[in-house]
Amino acid sequence: MDELVIILVRGIGLGAVYSLVAMSFNIVHNSSGILNFAQGNMLVLGGLFAFFLLPQEPTVARWLLLLPAAALLYAAVLALQGYVTLLPLRSSVEQHSWLITTLAVSVIIGAVILIAQGPHALSVKSPFANFRLLGTRTPTAYALAALLALGWYAALRWFHARTITGLAMSALAQDLEAARAVGLRVRRLQLYAFAISGAIVGSAGFVAAPVMSISADSGIIYVVNGFIAAVIGGLGSNAGALIGGPLVGVAGMYAAFQYGGQFQNAVSLALLIAVLMLRPEGLFGRARARRV
Amino acid sequence: MYERRRHALATLLLLPAVFSASQALAQGAPIKLGAMIPLTGGGATVGESGQIAVELAVRNINASGGIAGRKVQLVIADYQTEATVGVSEAKRLVFQEKVDLLVGPTYSQVTLAVLPMLNEAKIPSVNVSGSEKLTPGVGPYAFSMLANAEAQAKVMVDHAVRVRKAQSAAIISDNGAQAKTAVDALKAELAARGVKLAGVQEYQYRQADMTPQLLALRRGNPDVVLLFTSNGEDTGNMVKSAAELGWNVPVIGSFGATFSGPAFKIAGKDAYRNLVAVNYKGFSYCPSDPPATGFQQFVGQVKAFKPEAFERQPLAYLSLWYDAVYVLKAAVEGTGGKTDGPSVAAWLEANSGTFRNINSGLTASKSTHFLVGQDALTVVYPDRTREGALLERVGC
Repeated sequence: MDELVIILVRGIGLGAVYSLVAMSFNIVHNSSGILNFAQGNMLVLGGLFAFFLLPQEPTVARWLLLLPAAALLYAAVLALQGYVTLLPLRSSVEQHSWLITTLAVSVIIGAVILIAQGPHALSVKSPFANFRLLGTRTPTAYALAALLALGWYAALRWFHARTITGLAMSALAQDLEAARAVGLRVRRLQLYAFAISGAIVGSAGFVAAPVMSISADSGIIYVVNGFIAAVIGGLGSNAGALIGGPLVGVAGMYAAFQYGGQFQNAVSLALLIAVLMLRPEGLFGRARARRV
Repeated sequence: MYERRRHALATLLLLPAVFSASQALAQGAPIKLGAMIPLTGGGATVGESGQIAVELAVRNINASGGIAGRKVQLVIADYQTEATVGVSEAKRLVFQEKVDLLVGPTYSQVTLAVLPMLNEAKIPSVNVSGSEKLTPGVGPYAFSMLANAEAQAKVMVDHAVRVRKAQSAAIISDNGAQAKTAVDALKAELAARGVKLAGVQEYQYRQADMTPQLLALRRGNPDVVLLFTSNGEDTGNMVKSAAELGWNVPVIGSFGATFSGPAFKIAGKDAYRNLVAVNYKGFSYCPSDPPATGFQQFVGQVKAFKPEAFERQPLAYLSLWYDAVYVLKAAVEGTGGKTDGPSVAAWLEANSGTFRNINSGLTASKSTHFLVGQDALTVVYPDRTREGALLERVGC
């Protein structure tokens, strides 16, 4: 029983990282129909930010100061990526060059990390002591990632419900053409969406750095599991992302514990297939009609 | 008609000259050495070591006149730690680059995937892979500098039984091809020695959190854990996860667990508090041994060649790649300059014991193409070093 509690806590913590990646997918997808496959390596870049700017023995004060800086920096980076991605698209719903450009950005980031840092994974020390749970030491980064996921979820809910820009972005999600027709500045709103997704994923990488593998090729794990979490929860639904992430994290860890490590990734893919077959819109998504 | 006869006669007279000129040209032409190395992907850390070693070896060989008087031209192929990429890179090396010799790969699943092509092209190779499946039947012209999985497994279990007096053992490994054969070998050896198998678990390369796997193994309450790994990062992640669980079980690691630099970075200075590992006897010492000057020279060369990367290099592993190039050099020169697979393989099967460089006492034969056998292995403390890379033997 103790082991199951430990797995549950760690699975939720790891799943919170997937939730954050899923939320960053959602906000861009809702505004432009684009799935930004560079999010995994952007998360790794957030970890790199922590590696370079946190000292060997980091203090809580410095960590707190750098967290919003990470969010702002990667908001700017993703806004730039968004500009490049959206540039060739007149209507991003109808064209698919974003698939190539987002993957290209991911590959470029990986190559730059490899050239600049070499192949070895980098380690970041947390300023927070591990917390004790049933005789084990659990990294506080897991708890912080869960808090960050809840925080971003609440912030996004407030943003979409209570601000004009947020409401306008919600309008894009409902009908892009109608939003354009009523005079909304679609391209600008889409860039804001990219920027917000950068803030989410940059802060996530910074917070989760002590429990992440920070290397040139580790982004793929996070983007795949973040995407699975987004689809299981319902693409476009942040409530779904909040639930989908821990579902993927816990299921994977439980499968490794009970059946063997070889099943850890397979079970999240099996979950994805099961959800797509039984409820294609995801657990919290809504089925929509589409004009063809 | 007279003109035609004159032309035919001239051609006949010129043919031998043309033939010997082209031979002379070929003999003077560089020897193309392909190197299949994982510069990216999950195996990139060991790939960096492979690249440094092979480039250093080629530089040194060319500085001393090349192989059989021919300069060596190196062509590196990054197989991204993926078998499918390995096959396409092997195709490029064989059909486009037309390499004469090959070193690598290191990951057994990639080596097994590319061997059919190398066999067909009769290209001799020395890899750094350890799967039991790499038999002379599978790779008639391929040899390995890595102690194979079975040899390592025997040494690990022997230490568990003889030194740790273990009655039960658990196994954890990565999901590579060599590890899969190693797990089978470990299970067989444990059964043969009457040790109870308490559990078997597997992790993905670079998996940061291995607590689910370790929680599962802890249920079986093993006396020791046998860790079969290919790099120091995974070693660090495993011991860090065990420390977080408060599980102080003795760990006996494979050769990959001796790559201590990355392990220390991940798990801290106590990473090897309770971990010993298999190493080559040639890279071990007892405190009473005299300094190993030959190895010191090699260490100095590596440091001068790549000072920015030196600190993180597993030097014993580096020497395997380095010597892989020199083994091929010895074989080509031993055959009088021939680079075809059958000639090189026949020479190595008969003469590998005469090889002298960083590693010596090689033991390939017609029945095994593993150049390093069980007798060349020992168990060491990976955190006690001398001359930069020699590790202290257990039981000095």
